[in-house]
Amino acid sequence: MNINYTPHQKNFRAEVREWLADHVPGERLPSFDTKEGFERHREWEATLASGNWSNVNWPLEYGGRGLDLISWLIFEEEYYRVDAPLRVSQNGIFLLAPTIMEYGCNEQKARFLPPMASGKEIWAQAWSEPGAGSDMAAITTKAIREGDHYLISGQKIWASRAVFADWCFGLFRTEEGSERHKGLSMILVPLDSPGLIRRPIAQLDGDTGFAELFFDKVRVPVENLLGPEHGGWSVAMVTAGFERGLLLRSPARFQAASARLVKLYKQHKDRLSSGVGEQVIQAWMNTERFCAATYQLVSRVQAGALISSEASANKLFWSEMDRHLHRTAMSIMGAQAELEHGLDAIDNGRWLGGYIFSLAGPIYAGTNEIQRNILAERVLGLPRVGV
Amino acid sequence: MDFRYTQNQQDLIEATKKVLEGKNTLQRLRDLVGERRAENTIKQTKDNGASDIWNQFADLGLFGIMANETDGGLEQPLVVMAGVAEAAGYVALPEPLVELAGIVVPLLSQMNNLEHLIQVLEGRLSVGIITPLLPINNATAYHDMFIVTSKFGGELILKEDLNLESRHSIDPLRTLAKTDKPSSLNTLADYHGAVLSAAQLLGLAQRMIDMSSEYAKNRYQFGQPIGAFQAIKHQLATAYMQIEFTRPIIQLAALQGGVVVHNAKLAAIDAAMLAAETAIQVHGGMGYTYEVDLHLFMKRTWALCGEWGDRSYHMKKLEDYLLNGELEIGTMRTFI
Ligand SMILES: Cc1cc2nc3c(=O)[nH]c(=O)nc-3n(C[C@H](O)[C@H](O)[C@H](O)COP(=O)(O)OP(=O)(O)OC[C@H]3O[C@@H](n4cnc5c(N)ncnc54)[C@H](O)[C@@H]3O)c2cc1C
Repeated sequence: MNINYTPHQKNFRAEVREWLADHVPGERLPSFDTKEGFERHREWEATLASGNWSNVNWPLEYGGRGLDLISWLIFEEEYYRVDAPLRVSQNGIFLLAPTIMEYGCNEQKARFLPPMASGKEIWAQAWSEPGAGSDMAAITTKAIREGDHYLISGQKIWASRAVFADWCFGLFRTEEGSERHKGLSMILVPLDSPGLIRRPIAQLDGDTGFAELFFDKVRVPVENLLGPEHGGWSVAMVTAGFERGLLLRSPARFQAASARLVKLYKQHKDRLSSGVGEQVIQAWMNTERFCAATYQLVSRVQAGALISSEASANKLFWSEMDRHLHRTAMSIMGAQAELEHGLDAIDNGRWLGGYIFSLAGPIYAGTNEIQRNILAERVLGLPRVGV
Repeated sequence: MDFRYTQNQQDLIEATKKVLEGKNTLQRLRDLVGERRAENTIKQTKDNGASDIWNQFADLGLFGIMANETDGGLEQPLVVMAGVAEAAGYVALPEPLVELAGIVVPLLSQMNNLEHLIQVLEGRLSVGIITPLLPINNATAYHDMFIVTSKFGGELILKEDLNLESRHSIDPLRTLAKTDKPSSLNTLADYHGAVLSAAQLLGLAQRMIDMSSEYAKNRYQFGQPIGAFQAIKHQLATAYMQIEFTRPIIQLAALQGGVVVHNAKLAAIDAAMLAAETAIQVHGGMGYTYEVDLHLFMKRTWALCGEWGDRSYHMKKLEDYLLNGELEIGTMRTFI
C-alpha cells in the first residue's frame, strides 16, 4: 500500500490552488436552476475551460489534461475547498462523457466532447418517464427509424437542467414490439428540435430544476445514436455505473460540507444539547469514511478493475450521509432553519437548500430501495422472487 | 498513490485466512464451547489441547508477522496485520493471535526484550497486556506473563506475581481476569489495539452477514426463501454497505495512525453492532439460541466493542479534536 501523492500530483495541487484563487467568483452565483444563474454558471464553465480545467482526466485532444483519477480527486478537493460554483454541466461531463469515451465513435467524441467541456453545450439526461421511474425498462417513448433519421414520439420527465440546457441524451425504444430491457437505444437529441416541447417543473425550492419533455415526431439523424442500436440498456448501465459509482459525487463536496457543519455547530454550541455534537462528529466521520473508500475505489479502477454492483453501495452511502449531515444542520439552526433567505437566514438559507437537495439524493440515480435490491441480489446472492 | 494491498500482502492475508478457516472451524468452536460449559473452563490452553493450533501458528510464522526480519519475523506493516485480524474475527478465533502478533510483539520490540520476543515467535510463550484501555483482560488461560504498559514501553511480569481475579464473560470462549496492577497508557499499544480490534470487528460483522445471507436463502416461510422478502434484503444490504465503508477507514487508520484511528474504531463498533442486530433478526427465533453459531460471533462483537477504547472513549477523542479544538478544518485533508 502506498498512500503518498507523487511529486507531480503535489505540484498539480499547488497549480490548481493557485489558478482557482485567481479565478473563483468572490460571491456565490445565483442557482443554476434560474435563467440568470444558468447563464452565469455557463460562463464559469467557459472560464474553467479557458484554463483547461473542465475535466482534468479527459484526454488532451478533447480539452482535458490526460491525468489520472487521483488527480481528479485532488482537483475536486481544491475546488470545494474554495467553494467554487457547482457544475451546471455535471450530467454531461460526469455521466455522458465517460459513456461517449466508452461507446462513441471518433466523430462523436470530436463533435460532442469539446463543446461540452467549454460549457457551450450543456446536457440533460432524459431517461425517466411518467410510467418508467424505478422500473426504467418500462420505457415506451419510441424512436422509429426512417431512412437516416429517427422519429421520436412520447414523453420524458424529471430531466434535470433540461429547462435551459441545449441537448439531452435519452433512452428510447427503437425496436418496435420489443419489451423491457431489449430494443432500447441511447440517442442524443438537441433540446431545440422542432416538435420537442419542454415543460419546466418547479422543485421543492420553487425553481425549475427539471423539466418534462414532450416529443412529437422529433427528427434526429442516425449519427446521434450512441452505442449499439437496440443495445441501449447496457450503454445506460455503464452511465449509471459512473453516476452511482464514482464521478457524480466526489468526497470533497461532502467533506467541505462537514467542515462547514463543524463551524456552524461551534457558532451555536452554547444552546445545543450534548447529543448534537455527536451527530456533528458522526457527519464528519462519514465524510472521512467516504473519502477513504473513494481513494480505494479509484486505486482499484486505475489498476483495471471495473465498477460493478458496489456502485450501489456507494450511492446508498453518500446519499444517506448527505441527508444526515444536512438534517444535523437543520437541527442546529432551530427556529432559523425555515428561513429561506435574507434577514436572520443563516448562511442565506444555504443549509436549508442543502437539506432540500439532500432529500432528492435517495431518489435520483435510482432510488435507494432499488440499490438495496441490487446489493441483496447481486452481491449477497439473495433470491429475486418475492415481495 | 495506490491504496490497495500489494500482491504479496494480499497473498499473505489470503494464506493466513485459509489457515484460520481450516483450523478454527465452526465444529472446533462448538467443541470448545461444550467443554467450557461442562467444566466451566477452557481446558485447551497453548500447553495442552490447543497446542496443535498454537504450534501451527508458530510454524507458519504468524506470531512474527510484524516482528523485524532480523528477529525472524515477516516485518509487515500494521495494515497487513489488520487484514489478518479481520480474518481472525471472521472465524471468531479464541486464541489471542492478533494481540500477540500485532501488539505484544511490537511492544517487546519497543522494550528491546528480544529474549521473550523470540519465545513468543516460537510459540513457547504467551503474553497478555495490562494497560488502561483493557480494564479487563482476556485470554488469561493462555498467558504465562503480562506486560504492564508504561508510556514508552512496559514491564514484563509473571502471571503468578499478579493477583488476577477471574471474571465471567457472556462469550464462552473468553477467559477473563482483572488485576489492580496500575499501568499507564502506551501510544503504540493503544494505536495497534484500536486498529486491530476494529479489524476483528469488521471480520465478525462480515461473517454474521454472510451467515445470515446463507440462512435467508435456505429458510422458507410463506412458500419462499425469507431472503426473497425485501424487508430481509434491505436490512442485509444496509449492514453490508456499512461494512464496505468501514474497511477502507480501518486500513487508512493502520497506515496513518492519529485521529483516523478513532474514526475507524467507532465505525467498526457501529457496523458490527448493526450487523449483529441484523443477523439475529434474520435468523428469527433460531438466532436467540445456543443452537446456531451466530451467538458466538455476536458475543465476541459485544466484547471487542469495549476493548482498546470503547465508543465513548473514541467519541470523546473526536470531540476534543473536532468540536473543542481550534482546528481550521476547511484546509484539512484525509490523505496528506
Ligand atoms: C432531483 C431529481 C432529479 C432527477 N433527475 C433526473 C434526470 O436528470 N433524468 C432522469 O431521467 N431522471 C431524473 N430523476 C428521476 C429519478 O431517477 C426517478 O425519480 C427515480 O428513478 C424514481 O422513479 P419515480 O420517481 O418514478 O418513483 P417510483 O418508481 O414511483 O418510486 C416510488 C417509491 O417506490 C419505491 N419502489 C419502486 N419500485 C420498487 C421496488 N421494486 N422495490 C422497492 N421499492 C420500490 C421507490 O424506491 C420509491 O420509494 C430525477 C429525480 C429527482 C428527484
